Amino acid sequence: MAATTETVRRVKVKPNYEMIAWKWMRYSAFALIPLVWIHAILQDVVVGVHAMDLGYVAERWASLFWRVFDALLLGFAFAHGVNGLRQVLNDFIHGEKGRKILNWGLFIFWLAIFLIGAIALIGGVNQQFPLE
Amino acid sequence: MSTLKTTLTGYAGYRGREGHWAFLLHRITGLGVVLFLTIHIVDIAFVYFQPALFLDALALYQTTLFGIGEIALIFCVFFHGVNGLRIAYFDMFKPGLWSIEMQRKTTRTTLIIAIILWLPAAVWMVRNILLHNYGIVLFGG
Repeated sequence: MAATTETVRRVKVKPNYEMIAWKWMRYSAFALIPLVWIHAILQDVVVGVHAMDLGYVAERWASLFWRVFDALLLGFAFAHGVNGLRQVLNDFIHGEKGRKILNWGLFIFWLAIFLIGAIALIGGVNQQFPLE
Repeated sequence: MSTLKTTLTGYAGYRGREGHWAFLLHRITGLGVVLFLTIHIVDIAFVYFQPALFLDALALYQTTLFGIGEIALIFCVFFHGVNGLRIAYFDMFKPGLWSIEMQRKTTRTTLIIAIILWLPAAVWMVRNILLHNYGIVLFGG
């Protein structure tokens, strides 16, 4: 039956931007499983939105562990998400110029939202204690 | 405009069964999560920039409509996660598994795992909405 034989040839390919982005999606996926699932189950299910207020956020951010956790979440999840959005939009935008605009537009969008989140995460709860 | 039509027709018309559905569901859930994530980063940033607005956002999240959206969001997070893990594992470690038969089998398993993870969370979130928004005690009141 075996009229054909299979040979495996390994080739070294110089890494380029798209390849790094492709790998990023896979590696960050492994990190995001524990990060996002723990975050979502804890906040949405165990605690629940009805039990939240400014005091809850203040209490949570008083812990360095949870601040670092949230920082990792912000770093991994949003970059993964915006690159995913870029992949989807690449299906619709094929021109060289269009893709260039898309890449820069999404980069600026990512940077702006990321900075807003990072500043808030470092700044913490901006209110006098005791909380009202 | 023709690119839009061609791509969308391709999305809808391609008949790849399980592999195709997994692709579509991965994109839809991914887009849903990134939309919420963007809003969520901004609303959490209100804690620092504008605490009163954070409380407004929280009140919105506590409504029944957003509660239903939240239940859908948790499904998106679980499905996108399990399916993403499948894709990453195949791509990085076992590229030989990218066959039609394996697609059929593993997509079904993926969906089952995602639903098993999601169901208890969804039940508890329905319980929370009924308890806090309608005063109905389902269980564990």
